[in-house]
Amino acid sequence: MGNLVRNVTAIAGKEMRGYYGSPVAWVLMGFFAVVFGYFFNVYLNFFVDQAMRGGQFGAPPPMHVNTDMIRPLLANASVLVLFMLPMITMRSYAEEKRSGTIELLLTSPVTDLEITLGKFLGAVSVYAGLLAVSLIPILILFSLGDPEWKPILSGYLGLLLLGSCFLALGLFVSSTTANQVIAGGVTFVVALMFWIINWLADSAGPTFGPILNYLSVTQHFDDFGKGVIDTTHLVFYLSFIAFSLFLTLKSVDSERWRG
Amino acid sequence: MIEVQNLTKRYGPFTAVDDVSFRVERGEILGFLGPNGAGKTTTMRVLTGYMPATDGKAMVAGYDVFTHPIEAKQRTGYLPETPPLYPEMTVRDYLTFVARIKAGALRRAERDARVQQVMRTTRIDDMAHRACGKLSKGYKQRVGLAQALIHEPEVLILDEPTAGLDPKQIMETRDLIRSLGGDHTIVLSTHILPEVAQTCQRVVIINKGKVVAVDTPENLTHQLKGSASLYVQVEGRTSAVEAIQDIPGVRRAFISDQHDAYTGYEIESEPNHDVRRDVARVLVTGGWGLIELRPMRMSLEEIFLQLTTNEQAEEARHG
Repeated sequence: MGNLVRNVTAIAGKEMRGYYGSPVAWVLMGFFAVVFGYFFNVYLNFFVDQAMRGGQFGAPPPMHVNTDMIRPLLANASVLVLFMLPMITMRSYAEEKRSGTIELLLTSPVTDLEITLGKFLGAVSVYAGLLAVSLIPILILFSLGDPEWKPILSGYLGLLLLGSCFLALGLFVSSTTANQVIAGGVTFVVALMFWIINWLADSAGPTFGPILNYLSVTQHFDDFGKGVIDTTHLVFYLSFIAFSLFLTLKSVDSERWRG
Repeated sequence: MIEVQNLTKRYGPFTAVDDVSFRVERGEILGFLGPNGAGKTTTMRVLTGYMPATDGKAMVAGYDVFTHPIEAKQRTGYLPETPPLYPEMTVRDYLTFVARIKAGALRRAERDARVQQVMRTTRIDDMAHRACGKLSKGYKQRVGLAQALIHEPEVLILDEPTAGLDPKQIMETRDLIRSLGGDHTIVLSTHILPEVAQTCQRVVIINKGKVVAVDTPENLTHQLKGSASLYVQVEGRTSAVEAIQDIPGVRRAFISDQHDAYTGYEIESEPNHDVRRDVARVLVTGGWGLIELRPMRMSLEEIFLQLTTNEQAEEARHG
Protein backbone atom coordinates (compact mmCIF):
# COMPACT_ATOMS: atom_id res chain seq x y z
CA MET A 1 0.00 0.00 0.00
CA GLY A 2 2.86 2.34 0.86
CA ASN A 3 4.49 1.44 -2.43
CA LEU A 4 1.29 2.13 -4.31
CA VAL A 5 0.92 5.62 -2.88
CA ARG A 6 4.62 6.35 -3.39
CA ASN A 7 4.70 5.22 -7.01
CA VAL A 8 1.38 6.85 -7.91
CA THR A 9 2.57 10.15 -6.43
CA ALA A 10 5.85 9.93 -8.32
CA ILE A 11 4.07 9.35 -11.63
CA ALA A 12 1.37 11.94 -10.98
CA GLY A 13 4.11 14.44 -10.14
CA LYS A 14 5.91 13.65 -13.37
CA GLU A 15 2.67 14.09 -15.32
CA MET A 16 2.01 17.49 -13.78
CA ARG A 17 5.55 18.54 -14.50
CA GLY A 18 4.94 17.50 -18.09
CA TYR A 19 1.75 19.56 -18.34
CA TYR A 20 3.12 22.67 -16.68
CA GLY A 21 6.51 22.28 -18.33
CA SER A 22 4.90 22.55 -21.76
CA PRO A 23 2.52 25.31 -22.90
CA VAL A 24 -0.51 22.96 -22.79
CA ALA A 25 -1.63 23.59 -19.22
CA TRP A 26 -0.99 27.34 -19.39
CA VAL A 27 -2.79 27.83 -22.68
CA LEU A 28 -5.78 25.87 -21.41
CA MET A 29 -5.77 27.79 -18.17
CA GLY A 30 -5.65 31.14 -19.96
CA PHE A 31 -8.38 30.14 -22.37
CA PHE A 32 -10.58 28.84 -19.58
CA ALA A 33 -10.07 32.01 -17.54
CA VAL A 34 -11.03 34.25 -20.46
CA VAL A 35 -14.10 32.31 -21.55
CA PHE A 36 -15.33 31.69 -18.01
CA GLY A 37 -14.80 35.36 -17.24
CA TYR A 38 -16.87 36.27 -20.27
CA PHE A 39 -19.73 33.98 -19.22
CA PHE A 40 -19.51 35.36 -15.71
CA ASN A 41 -19.85 38.87 -17.05
CA VAL A 42 -22.82 37.98 -19.26
CA TYR A 43 -24.71 36.23 -16.46
CA LEU A 44 -23.90 38.94 -13.98
CA ASN A 45 -25.29 41.63 -16.28
CA PHE A 46 -28.32 39.53 -17.06
CA PHE A 47 -28.95 38.88 -13.39
CA VAL A 48 -28.60 42.53 -12.44
CA ASP A 49 -30.80 43.53 -15.37
CA GLN A 50 -33.54 41.06 -14.43
CA ALA A 51 -33.45 42.03 -10.78
CA MET A 52 -33.80 45.73 -11.64
CA ARG A 53 -36.61 45.15 -14.11
CA GLY A 54 -38.44 42.96 -11.62
CA GLY A 55 -38.22 45.80 -9.11
CA GLN A 56 -39.89 48.22 -11.53
CA PHE A 57 -43.18 46.32 -11.61
CA GLY A 58 -44.03 46.14 -7.98
CA ALA A 59 -43.46 42.75 -6.45
CA PRO A 60 -40.11 41.49 -7.75
CA PRO A 61 -39.98 37.84 -8.84
CA PRO A 62 -38.03 35.78 -6.36
CA MET A 63 -34.48 35.84 -7.72
CA HIS A 64 -31.48 34.32 -6.14
CA VAL A 65 -27.86 34.65 -7.08
CA ASN A 66 -27.32 30.91 -6.59
CA THR A 67 -30.16 29.62 -8.70
CA ASP A 68 -30.31 32.36 -11.28
CA MET A 69 -26.70 33.11 -11.82
CA ILE A 70 -24.21 30.59 -10.46
CA ARG A 71 -26.15 27.52 -11.51
CA PRO A 72 -26.42 28.42 -15.21
CA LEU A 73 -22.85 29.66 -15.09
CA LEU A 74 -21.57 26.32 -13.87
CA ALA A 75 -23.71 24.51 -16.44
CA ASN A 76 -21.96 26.56 -19.09
CA ALA A 77 -18.58 25.77 -17.58
CA SER A 78 -19.41 22.09 -17.94
CA VAL A 79 -19.78 22.58 -21.72
CA LEU A 80 -16.44 24.32 -21.79
CA VAL A 81 -14.92 21.39 -19.94
CA LEU A 82 -16.19 18.99 -22.59
CA PHE A 83 -14.23 20.87 -25.23
CA MET A 84 -11.07 21.38 -23.23
CA LEU A 85 -10.39 18.16 -21.37
CA PRO A 86 -9.56 16.02 -24.41
CA MET A 87 -6.59 18.36 -24.84
CA ILE A 88 -5.29 17.46 -21.40
CA THR A 89 -5.36 13.69 -21.77
CA MET A 90 -4.51 13.34 -25.44
CA ARG A 91 -0.78 13.25 -24.75
CA SER A 92 -0.74 11.00 -21.73
CA TYR A 93 -0.20 7.57 -23.26
CA ALA A 94 0.00 8.49 -26.94
CA GLU A 95 3.07 10.67 -26.53
CA GLU A 96 4.85 8.12 -24.32
CA LYS A 97 4.27 5.50 -26.96
CA ARG A 98 5.44 7.73 -29.78
CA SER A 99 8.62 8.80 -28.04
CA GLY A 100 9.38 5.39 -26.51
CA THR A 101 9.31 6.57 -22.90
CA ILE A 102 6.55 4.04 -22.28
CA GLU A 103 9.40 1.48 -22.27
CA LEU A 104 10.85 3.20 -19.22
CA LEU A 105 7.55 3.04 -17.34
CA LEU A 106 6.73 -0.54 -18.32
CA THR A 107 10.19 -1.84 -17.39
CA SER A 108 10.31 -0.03 -14.05
CA PRO A 109 9.28 -1.85 -10.90
CA VAL A 110 5.84 -0.25 -10.84
CA THR A 111 2.53 -1.89 -11.70
CA ASP A 112 0.32 -0.93 -14.62
CA LEU A 113 -2.31 0.16 -12.10
CA GLU A 114 0.13 2.57 -10.47
CA ILE A 115 1.01 4.07 -13.85
CA THR A 116 -2.65 4.50 -14.82
CA LEU A 117 -3.65 5.98 -11.47
CA GLY A 118 -0.65 8.29 -11.54
CA LYS A 119 -1.52 9.53 -15.01
CA PHE A 120 -5.16 9.96 -14.05
CA LEU A 121 -4.41 11.91 -10.89
CA GLY A 122 -1.89 14.05 -12.75
CA ALA A 123 -4.54 14.99 -15.28
CA VAL A 124 -7.14 15.59 -12.55
CA SER A 125 -4.73 17.96 -10.78
CA VAL A 126 -4.31 20.01 -13.92
CA TYR A 127 -8.08 20.11 -14.31
CA ALA A 128 -8.48 21.12 -10.67
CA GLY A 129 -6.07 23.95 -11.45
CA LEU A 130 -8.42 25.13 -14.21
CA LEU A 131 -11.38 25.04 -11.84
CA ALA A 132 -9.41 26.96 -9.25
CA VAL A 133 -8.94 29.77 -11.76
CA SER A 134 -12.70 29.95 -12.26
CA LEU A 135 -13.19 30.36 -8.52
CA ILE A 136 -11.70 33.84 -8.63
CA PRO A 137 -14.75 35.57 -10.16
CA ILE A 138 -17.02 33.51 -7.89
CA LEU A 139 -15.14 34.80 -4.87
CA ILE A 140 -15.70 38.34 -6.13
CA LEU A 141 -19.44 37.60 -5.89
CA PHE A 142 -19.00 36.93 -2.20
CA SER A 143 -17.60 40.40 -1.74
CA LEU A 144 -20.53 41.94 -3.64
CA GLY A 145 -23.41 39.89 -2.34
CA ASP A 146 -24.27 37.02 -0.13
CA PRO A 147 -24.44 33.79 -2.13
CA GLU A 148 -24.78 30.46 -0.38
CA TRP A 149 -21.52 28.54 -0.48
CA LYS A 150 -22.94 25.03 -0.16
CA PRO A 151 -24.56 24.79 -3.63
CA ILE A 152 -21.40 26.32 -5.08
CA LEU A 153 -19.33 23.62 -3.42
CA SER A 154 -21.61 20.84 -4.65
CA GLY A 155 -21.61 22.41 -8.12
CA TYR A 156 -17.84 22.34 -8.20
CA LEU A 157 -17.82 18.78 -6.91
CA GLY A 158 -20.11 17.92 -9.83
CA LEU A 159 -17.82 19.70 -12.27
CA LEU A 160 -14.82 17.86 -10.88
CA LEU A 161 -16.54 14.48 -11.17
CA LEU A 162 -17.92 15.20 -14.63
CA GLY A 163 -14.51 16.31 -15.84
CA SER A 164 -12.80 13.34 -14.22
CA CYS A 165 -15.06 11.06 -16.27
CA PHE A 166 -13.83 12.72 -19.45
CA LEU A 167 -10.24 12.53 -18.25
CA ALA A 168 -10.54 8.81 -17.52
CA LEU A 169 -12.19 8.32 -20.90
CA GLY A 170 -9.46 10.38 -22.56
CA LEU A 171 -6.79 8.30 -20.85
CA PHE A 172 -8.32 5.15 -22.28
CA VAL A 173 -8.53 6.56 -25.80
CA SER A 174 -4.96 7.84 -25.54
CA SER A 175 -3.78 4.37 -24.51
CA THR A 176 -5.08 2.90 -27.75
CA THR A 177 -3.04 5.08 -30.11
CA ALA A 178 0.39 6.64 -30.55
CA ASN A 179 -1.07 9.72 -32.24
CA GLN A 180 -2.15 12.45 -29.86
CA VAL A 181 -4.28 14.30 -32.40
CA ILE A 182 -6.34 11.15 -32.96
CA ALA A 183 -6.47 10.61 -29.21
CA GLY A 184 -7.84 14.12 -28.65
CA GLY A 185 -10.36 13.97 -31.50
CA VAL A 186 -11.75 10.58 -30.62
CA THR A 187 -12.01 11.52 -26.94
CA PHE A 188 -14.00 14.60 -27.87
CA VAL A 189 -16.40 12.67 -30.09
CA VAL A 190 -16.99 9.93 -27.52
CA ALA A 191 -17.41 12.46 -24.70
CA LEU A 192 -19.88 14.39 -26.85
CA MET A 193 -21.87 11.19 -27.36
CA PHE A 194 -22.18 10.68 -23.62
CA TRP A 195 -23.19 14.31 -23.41
CA ILE A 196 -26.06 14.30 -25.88
CA ILE A 197 -27.14 10.68 -25.59
CA ASN A 198 -30.29 11.70 -23.66
CA TRP A 199 -31.50 13.76 -26.64
CA LEU A 200 -32.51 10.45 -28.15
CA ALA A 201 -34.20 9.31 -24.94
CA ASP A 202 -37.62 10.76 -25.82
CA SER A 203 -37.81 8.95 -29.12
CA ALA A 204 -36.20 5.76 -27.91
CA GLY A 205 -39.32 4.31 -26.32
CA PRO A 206 -40.05 3.24 -22.77
CA THR A 207 -37.35 0.58 -22.50
CA PHE A 208 -34.31 2.36 -23.88
CA GLY A 209 -35.32 5.87 -22.98
CA PRO A 210 -34.43 5.61 -19.28
CA ILE A 211 -31.19 3.77 -20.09
CA LEU A 212 -30.07 6.50 -22.46
CA ASN A 213 -31.06 9.09 -19.88
CA TYR A 214 -29.04 7.29 -17.25
CA LEU A 215 -25.95 7.13 -19.47
CA SER A 216 -26.00 10.85 -20.14
CA VAL A 217 -23.29 12.55 -18.12
CA THR A 218 -25.21 15.84 -18.10
CA GLN A 219 -28.34 14.38 -16.51
CA HIS A 220 -26.27 13.49 -13.48
CA PHE A 221 -24.73 16.94 -13.31
CA ASP A 222 -27.98 18.91 -12.86
CA ASP A 223 -28.56 17.92 -9.25
CA PHE A 224 -25.05 18.92 -8.23
CA GLY A 225 -25.78 22.37 -9.66
CA LYS A 226 -28.88 22.58 -7.49
CA GLY A 227 -26.84 21.81 -4.42
CA VAL A 228 -28.00 18.22 -4.10
CA ILE A 229 -25.40 15.50 -3.67
CA ASP A 230 -27.27 12.34 -4.57
CA THR A 231 -25.50 9.00 -4.18
CA THR A 232 -27.01 7.77 -7.47
CA HIS A 233 -25.03 10.39 -9.30
CA LEU A 234 -21.91 9.83 -7.24
CA VAL A 235 -22.12 6.13 -8.02
CA PHE A 236 -22.62 6.85 -11.70
CA TYR A 237 -19.60 9.12 -11.98
CA LEU A 238 -17.33 6.94 -9.88
CA SER A 239 -18.29 3.81 -11.84
CA PHE A 240 -17.73 5.67 -15.11
CA ILE A 241 -14.24 6.63 -13.94
CA ALA A 242 -13.42 3.18 -12.59
CA PHE A 243 -14.62 1.47 -15.74
CA SER A 244 -12.63 3.79 -18.00
CA LEU A 245 -9.49 3.25 -15.96
CA PHE A 246 -10.11 -0.49 -16.06
CA LEU A 247 -10.31 -0.32 -19.87
CA THR A 248 -7.08 1.68 -19.90
CA LEU A 249 -5.35 -1.03 -17.88
CA LYS A 250 -6.61 -3.71 -20.23
CA SER A 251 -5.55 -1.70 -23.25
CA VAL A 252 -1.99 -1.26 -21.91
CA ASP A 253 -1.85 -4.93 -21.06
CA SER A 254 -3.02 -6.07 -24.48
CA GLU A 255 -0.51 -3.70 -26.08
CA ARG A 256 2.14 -5.58 -24.13
CA TRP A 257 1.11 -8.87 -25.62
CA ARG A 258 0.86 -7.54 -29.13
CA GLY A 259 4.10 -5.61 -28.82
CA MET B 1 22.23 -14.60 -13.27
CA ILE B 2 20.15 -14.65 -16.44
CA GLU B 3 18.60 -17.80 -17.71
CA VAL B 4 16.50 -18.02 -20.84
CA GLN B 5 14.82 -21.30 -21.65
CA ASN B 6 13.06 -22.09 -24.92
CA LEU B 7 11.86 -18.55 -25.28
CA THR B 8 9.39 -18.01 -28.11
CA LYS B 9 7.60 -14.83 -29.05
CA ARG B 10 5.04 -14.64 -31.83
CA TYR B 11 3.27 -11.61 -33.20
CA GLY B 12 0.26 -13.15 -34.84
CA PRO B 13 1.62 -15.52 -37.48
CA PHE B 14 5.12 -14.00 -37.33
CA THR B 15 7.65 -15.66 -35.03
CA ALA B 16 10.11 -13.03 -33.82
CA VAL B 17 11.96 -15.24 -31.35
CA ASP B 18 12.02 -18.95 -31.88
CA ASP B 19 12.97 -21.34 -29.07
CA VAL B 20 15.91 -19.32 -27.80
CA SER B 21 17.91 -20.56 -24.79
CA PHE B 22 21.05 -19.16 -23.20
CA ARG B 23 22.61 -18.39 -19.82
CA VAL B 24 24.62 -15.47 -18.56
CA GLU B 25 26.83 -15.92 -15.51
CA ARG B 26 27.27 -13.32 -12.81
CA GLY B 27 29.62 -10.53 -13.85
CA GLU B 28 29.75 -11.63 -17.46
CA ILE B 29 29.31 -9.38 -20.49
CA LEU B 30 27.33 -11.16 -23.16
CA GLY B 31 27.05 -9.85 -26.69
CA PHE B 32 23.87 -10.37 -28.58
CA LEU B 33 24.74 -10.28 -32.22
CA GLY B 34 22.46 -10.36 -35.20
CA PRO B 35 21.24 -8.40 -38.19
CA ASN B 36 18.35 -5.98 -37.86
CA GLY B 37 15.11 -7.82 -37.28
CA ALA B 38 16.82 -10.91 -35.88
CA GLY B 39 14.85 -10.78 -32.64
CA LYS B 40 17.43 -9.08 -30.39
CA THR B 41 15.14 -6.28 -29.25
CA THR B 42 12.23 -8.66 -28.72
CA THR B 43 14.35 -10.97 -26.56
CA MET B 44 15.53 -8.00 -24.50
CA ARG B 45 12.00 -6.70 -24.12
CA VAL B 46 10.93 -10.05 -22.73
CA LEU B 47 13.90 -10.11 -20.36
CA THR B 48 13.07 -6.63 -19.05
CA GLY B 49 9.41 -7.46 -18.53
CA TYR B 50 8.24 -5.03 -21.19
CA MET B 51 6.34 -7.78 -22.92
CA PRO B 52 5.46 -11.36 -22.03
CA ALA B 53 6.77 -14.31 -24.03
CA THR B 54 4.43 -16.55 -25.99
CA ASP B 55 6.25 -19.58 -24.66
CA GLY B 56 9.26 -20.47 -22.56
CA LYS B 57 10.79 -18.98 -19.47
CA ALA B 58 13.14 -16.17 -18.55
CA MET B 59 14.78 -15.78 -15.14
CA VAL B 60 16.63 -12.66 -14.09
CA ALA B 61 18.56 -12.59 -10.81
CA GLY B 62 16.60 -15.61 -9.64
CA TYR B 63 13.16 -14.22 -10.45
CA ASP B 64 10.87 -15.30 -13.24
CA VAL B 65 10.15 -12.12 -15.22
CA PHE B 66 6.61 -13.22 -15.88
CA THR B 67 5.47 -14.39 -12.46
CA HIS B 68 7.57 -11.96 -10.38
CA PRO B 69 7.92 -8.93 -12.65
CA ILE B 70 8.42 -6.35 -9.90
CA GLU B 71 11.25 -8.24 -8.20
CA ALA B 72 12.95 -8.90 -11.54
CA LYS B 73 12.59 -5.27 -12.63
CA GLN B 74 14.08 -4.02 -9.37
CA ARG B 75 17.24 -5.88 -10.33
CA THR B 76 17.35 -4.96 -14.00
CA GLY B 77 18.55 -1.79 -15.68
CA TYR B 78 17.43 -1.36 -19.25
CA LEU B 79 18.56 0.99 -21.97
CA PRO B 80 16.17 0.69 -24.92
CA GLU B 81 17.25 1.39 -28.48
CA THR B 82 16.15 5.02 -28.17
CA PRO B 83 16.92 6.44 -24.73
CA PRO B 84 13.53 6.96 -23.04
CA LEU B 85 13.89 10.64 -22.14
CA TYR B 86 11.27 13.28 -21.44
CA PRO B 87 12.45 16.19 -23.59
CA GLU B 88 11.14 18.97 -21.34
CA MET B 89 12.72 17.64 -18.13
CA THR B 90 16.23 18.59 -17.08
CA VAL B 91 18.73 15.76 -16.71
CA ARG B 92 18.68 16.02 -12.93
CA ASP B 93 14.87 16.12 -12.71
CA TYR B 94 14.61 13.20 -15.08
CA LEU B 95 17.05 11.05 -13.12
CA THR B 96 15.32 12.01 -9.88
CA PHE B 97 11.99 10.88 -11.32
CA VAL B 98 13.48 7.58 -12.51
CA ALA B 99 15.04 7.08 -9.09
CA ARG B 100 11.65 7.62 -7.51
CA ILE B 101 9.95 4.91 -9.54
CA LYS B 102 12.88 2.48 -9.61
CA ALA B 103 14.37 2.93 -6.16
CA GLY B 104 11.35 4.26 -4.29
CA ALA B 105 12.62 3.12 -0.92
CA LEU B 106 15.45 5.66 -0.95
CA ARG B 107 15.10 8.72 1.22
CA ARG B 108 15.42 12.10 -0.43
CA ALA B 109 19.04 12.69 0.59
CA GLU B 110 20.10 9.20 -0.51
CA ARG B 111 18.27 9.68 -3.78
CA ASP B 112 19.97 12.99 -4.50
CA ALA B 113 23.32 11.41 -3.71
CA ARG B 114 22.56 8.50 -6.03
CA VAL B 115 21.58 10.84 -8.87
CA GLN B 116 24.80 12.76 -8.37
CA GLN B 117 26.79 9.55 -8.37
CA VAL B 118 25.39 8.11 -11.62
CA MET B 119 25.82 11.47 -13.30
CA ARG B 120 29.49 11.30 -12.37
CA THR B 121 29.85 7.69 -13.50
CA THR B 122 28.35 8.43 -16.90
CA ARG B 123 30.02 11.88 -17.08
CA ILE B 124 26.92 13.94 -17.59
CA ASP B 125 27.16 16.12 -14.48
CA ASP B 126 28.02 19.14 -16.61
CA MET B 127 24.59 18.82 -18.26
CA ALA B 128 22.58 18.39 -15.05
CA HIS B 129 20.45 21.48 -15.68
CA ARG B 130 20.05 21.07 -19.44
CA ALA B 131 16.68 19.89 -20.79
CA CYS B 132 16.96 16.29 -22.04
CA GLY B 133 15.50 17.26 -25.41
CA LYS B 134 18.32 19.73 -26.03
CA LEU B 135 21.17 17.27 -25.50
CA SER B 136 23.41 15.87 -28.23
CA LYS B 137 22.99 12.28 -29.30
CA GLY B 138 25.99 11.17 -27.26
CA TYR B 139 24.74 12.82 -24.11
CA LYS B 140 21.24 11.42 -24.59
CA GLN B 141 22.71 7.95 -24.77
CA ARG B 142 24.67 8.54 -21.57
CA VAL B 143 21.61 9.88 -19.76
CA GLY B 144 19.89 6.70 -20.93
CA LEU B 145 22.69 4.68 -19.41
CA ALA B 146 22.54 6.71 -16.20
CA GLN B 147 18.83 5.98 -16.01
CA ALA B 148 19.54 2.25 -16.34
CA LEU B 149 22.10 2.39 -13.52
CA ILE B 150 20.17 4.49 -11.04
CA HIS B 151 18.78 1.67 -8.90
CA GLU B 152 22.12 -0.17 -8.84
CA PRO B 153 20.75 -3.19 -10.70
CA GLU B 154 22.57 -6.50 -10.79
CA VAL B 155 21.69 -6.96 -14.44
CA LEU B 156 22.10 -4.44 -17.24
CA ILE B 157 20.37 -4.89 -20.57
CA LEU B 158 21.57 -2.52 -23.25
CA ASP B 159 19.95 -2.44 -26.67
CA GLU B 160 22.43 -1.15 -29.24
CA PRO B 161 24.20 1.13 -26.77
CA THR B 162 26.57 2.61 -29.36
CA ALA B 163 24.17 3.03 -32.27
CA GLY B 164 24.36 6.45 -33.86
CA LEU B 165 27.36 7.67 -31.87
CA ASP B 166 30.55 9.09 -33.35
CA PRO B 167 33.76 7.03 -33.08
CA LYS B 168 35.05 8.85 -30.01
CA GLN B 169 31.74 8.45 -28.19
CA ILE B 170 31.67 4.78 -29.19
CA MET B 171 35.09 4.22 -27.61
CA GLU B 172 34.00 6.00 -24.44
CA THR B 173 30.76 4.06 -24.20
CA ARG B 174 32.56 0.75 -24.66
CA ASP B 175 35.08 1.66 -21.98
CA LEU B 176 32.24 2.55 -19.68
CA ILE B 177 30.45 -0.72 -20.36
CA ARG B 178 33.63 -2.71 -19.79
CA SER B 179 34.19 -0.92 -16.51
CA LEU B 180 30.64 -1.80 -15.43
CA GLY B 181 31.20 -5.51 -16.11
CA GLY B 182 32.19 -7.50 -13.06
CA ASP B 183 29.88 -5.58 -10.75
CA HIS B 184 27.03 -6.01 -13.18
CA THR B 185 25.92 -8.80 -15.42
CA ILE B 186 25.51 -7.23 -18.83
CA VAL B 187 23.70 -8.23 -21.98
CA LEU B 188 24.24 -5.89 -24.89
CA SER B 189 22.94 -6.19 -28.39
CA THR B 190 24.64 -4.93 -31.48
CA HIS B 191 24.91 -5.48 -35.17
CA ILE B 192 28.41 -4.04 -35.20
CA LEU B 193 30.81 -6.92 -34.97
CA PRO B 194 34.07 -5.43 -33.69
CA GLU B 195 32.05 -4.23 -30.74
CA VAL B 196 31.47 -7.76 -29.52
CA ALA B 197 35.11 -8.73 -29.85
CA GLN B 198 36.12 -5.65 -27.89
CA THR B 199 33.60 -5.66 -25.08
CA CYS B 200 32.10 -9.09 -24.64
CA GLN B 201 33.32 -12.30 -23.08
CA ARG B 202 30.73 -14.39 -24.83
CA VAL B 203 28.63 -14.00 -27.95
CA VAL B 204 25.19 -15.24 -28.84
CA ILE B 205 24.62 -14.97 -32.55
CA ILE B 206 20.97 -14.77 -33.43
CA ASN B 207 19.34 -14.75 -36.82
CA LYS B 208 15.67 -14.84 -37.74
CA GLY B 209 14.76 -15.46 -34.14
CA LYS B 210 17.01 -18.48 -33.71
CA VAL B 211 20.30 -18.85 -31.88
CA VAL B 212 22.93 -19.73 -34.47
CA ALA B 213 25.99 -19.91 -32.25
CA VAL B 214 27.07 -19.29 -28.65
CA ASP B 215 30.76 -18.99 -27.89
CA THR B 216 33.61 -16.68 -26.98
CA PRO B 217 34.66 -14.31 -29.75
CA GLU B 218 38.08 -16.08 -29.91
CA ASN B 219 36.56 -19.53 -30.24
CA LEU B 220 34.18 -18.42 -32.93
CA THR B 221 37.04 -17.02 -34.93
CA HIS B 222 39.07 -20.14 -34.27
CA GLN B 223 36.31 -22.59 -34.99
CA LEU B 224 35.76 -21.24 -38.43
CA LYS B 225 39.35 -20.45 -39.23
CA GLY B 226 39.81 -23.70 -41.13
CA SER B 227 37.10 -22.94 -43.62
CA ALA B 228 37.06 -20.25 -46.28
CA SER B 229 40.50 -19.50 -45.18
CA LEU B 230 42.83 -19.68 -48.15
CA TYR B 231 43.78 -17.18 -50.78
CA VAL B 232 46.03 -18.22 -53.71
CA GLN B 233 47.30 -16.24 -56.63
CA VAL B 234 48.57 -17.81 -59.86
CA GLU B 235 50.13 -16.26 -62.92
CA GLY B 236 48.06 -15.22 -65.90
CA ARG B 237 44.39 -15.57 -66.68
CA THR B 238 43.74 -19.12 -65.68
CA SER B 239 41.01 -21.35 -64.45
CA ALA B 240 42.21 -23.77 -61.84
CA VAL B 241 38.90 -23.95 -60.04
CA GLU B 242 38.15 -27.53 -60.99
CA ALA B 243 41.63 -28.78 -60.18
CA ILE B 244 41.44 -27.15 -56.77
CA GLN B 245 37.98 -28.44 -56.05
CA ASP B 246 39.17 -32.00 -56.69
CA ILE B 247 41.56 -31.75 -53.76
CA PRO B 248 40.18 -33.68 -50.79
CA GLY B 249 39.06 -31.41 -47.98
CA VAL B 250 38.21 -28.49 -50.24
CA ARG B 251 34.62 -27.53 -49.98
CA ARG B 252 34.51 -24.82 -52.57
CA ALA B 253 36.82 -22.70 -54.67
CA PHE B 254 36.10 -19.65 -56.74
CA ILE B 255 37.89 -16.86 -58.57
CA SER B 256 37.92 -13.80 -56.38
CA ASP B 257 39.85 -11.42 -58.60
CA GLN B 258 41.31 -11.67 -62.09
CA HIS B 259 43.77 -9.54 -64.02
CA ASP B 260 45.95 -10.12 -67.07
CA ALA B 261 48.93 -10.75 -64.82
CA TYR B 262 47.35 -13.05 -62.27
CA THR B 263 44.21 -14.77 -61.04
CA GLY B 264 43.23 -14.89 -57.38
CA TYR B 265 41.27 -17.76 -55.86
CA GLU B 266 39.52 -18.12 -52.57
CA ILE B 267 39.35 -21.62 -51.22
CA GLU B 268 36.99 -22.83 -48.54
CA SER B 269 38.00 -26.01 -46.82
CA GLU B 270 36.11 -28.37 -44.58
CA PRO B 271 36.51 -27.48 -40.92
CA ASN B 272 39.71 -28.83 -39.37
CA HIS B 273 41.28 -29.67 -42.72
CA ASP B 274 44.50 -27.90 -43.52
CA VAL B 275 44.59 -28.06 -47.30
CA ARG B 276 47.45 -25.62 -47.86
CA ARG B 277 50.07 -28.29 -48.59
CA ASP B 278 47.81 -30.12 -51.07
CA VAL B 279 46.74 -26.94 -52.81
CA ALA B 280 50.37 -25.89 -53.28
CA ARG B 281 51.34 -29.33 -54.56
CA VAL B 282 48.48 -29.55 -57.04
CA LEU B 283 49.10 -26.07 -58.39
CA VAL B 284 52.86 -26.53 -58.75
CA THR B 285 52.68 -30.00 -60.31
CA GLY B 286 49.82 -28.85 -62.53
CA GLY B 287 52.05 -26.21 -64.04
CA TRP B 288 50.32 -23.15 -62.71
CA GLY B 289 52.66 -20.41 -61.63
CA LEU B 290 51.93 -20.07 -57.95
CA ILE B 291 52.64 -16.54 -56.79
CA GLU B 292 51.00 -16.34 -53.43
CA LEU B 293 49.31 -18.55 -50.90
CA ARG B 294 48.09 -17.22 -47.59
CA PRO B 295 45.46 -18.09 -44.99
CA MET B 296 42.66 -15.59 -44.68
CA ARG B 297 41.95 -14.87 -41.05
CA MET B 298 38.26 -14.43 -40.75
CA SER B 299 37.01 -11.42 -39.01
CA LEU B 300 34.05 -11.81 -36.75
CA GLU B 301 32.16 -9.96 -39.42
CA GLU B 302 32.73 -12.74 -41.91
CA ILE B 303 31.89 -15.41 -39.37
CA PHE B 304 28.70 -13.66 -38.73
CA LEU B 305 27.92 -13.35 -42.41
CA GLN B 306 28.80 -16.96 -42.96
CA LEU B 307 26.73 -18.21 -40.07
CA THR B 308 23.72 -16.29 -41.11
CA THR B 309 24.03 -17.00 -44.83
CA ASN B 310 24.53 -20.71 -44.17
CA GLU B 311 21.38 -20.58 -42.19
CA GLN B 312 19.59 -19.02 -45.11
CA ALA B 313 21.00 -21.57 -47.53
CA GLU B 314 19.82 -24.35 -45.28
CA GLU B 315 16.40 -22.85 -45.09
CA ALA B 316 16.26 -22.57 -48.87
CA ARG B 317 17.14 -26.24 -49.16
CA HIS B 318 14.41 -27.27 -46.79
CA GLY B 319 12.08 -25.17 -48.87
